[in-house]
Amino acid sequence: MVVVTTAPDCCTIAAMPTVFTSREPDLERTIMSPLTSFAVSPEGISFETQEKEEKVALFLRQHLIVLLGPALLVILLALAPVLFFPLLFTFLTLPFEIPINYIIVGTAFWYVVTFGFGLMSFLRWFFNIYIVTDKRIVDIDFIHLLYKEFSEARLDKIQDISYKSSGIFSVFFDYGDAYVQTAGGDLPNIEFLAVPKPAKVVEAISELLENQKSSL
Amino acid sequence: MTPDITNIVFVIIKYLILFGMGLYMVFATVILRQEQLMAQVLEESFEPVLRVAAFFHLAAAIGVFVLALLIL
Repeated sequence: MVVVTTAPDCCTIAAMPTVFTSREPDLERTIMSPLTSFAVSPEGISFETQEKEEKVALFLRQHLIVLLGPALLVILLALAPVLFFPLLFTFLTLPFEIPINYIIVGTAFWYVVTFGFGLMSFLRWFFNIYIVTDKRIVDIDFIHLLYKEFSEARLDKIQDISYKSSGIFSVFFDYGDAYVQTAGGDLPNIEFLAVPKPAKVVEAISELLENQKSSL
Repeated sequence: MTPDITNIVFVIIKYLILFGMGLYMVFATVILRQEQLMAQVLEESFEPVLRVAAFFHLAAAIGVFVLALLIL
């Protein structure tokens, strides 16, 4: 029988994963939603270089809290033409009157740019992902519009995993940075920045490493 | 300001606005293209919604540009 319960961070738990052997509730399978930032053995997810038999064990994005700043800015920008600009023009005296057609075009363009800013912020968050499979760790960074970075490390090359969580917000919302050090100088070290439940991330990767070692 | 100077100023502003909006349309096209490329990297069920949003953004940018051409 599959028991479905609601979990924090916009995800729903459905059943025990096949990749993990742990029986901890936080490491149970997650059903994806658009705002999922921590998912264990998610369904309906695949990535570009995924091999046929490769299973996604952990899917991570930055904690939703990183979207708070852009969301507040979008709200302020949306309110500006209605609340702040009329107030500004009562104090500002121009030597000429702005024609109504300029006001219409200016306001329309303002809202298009505001929407564009919100969309870009969301896309950056949405496509900035960290994936742990039963074979490797993949870091896909969508830094900005014209810069994309894809790095990966095989599980057998991982030397050390650690995490850091500092600051009031990090402790309160349980997010932080997880670091994966790889053996060999030419392989990149992978950093999971501002991910939810960093302790669970480290724990899950350690478990995968142990599973891999025991299967050898 | 005299009416002549005001008219010249508004003509300059109009072309600056149109130039800025033209650049913004290019930016909106790049967002759409980048979204399509990222969708190939990560296949996810919510991605079509983002594609519609990116299309809507480009359409809105073109719409405002056309509006500026017509009424400024």
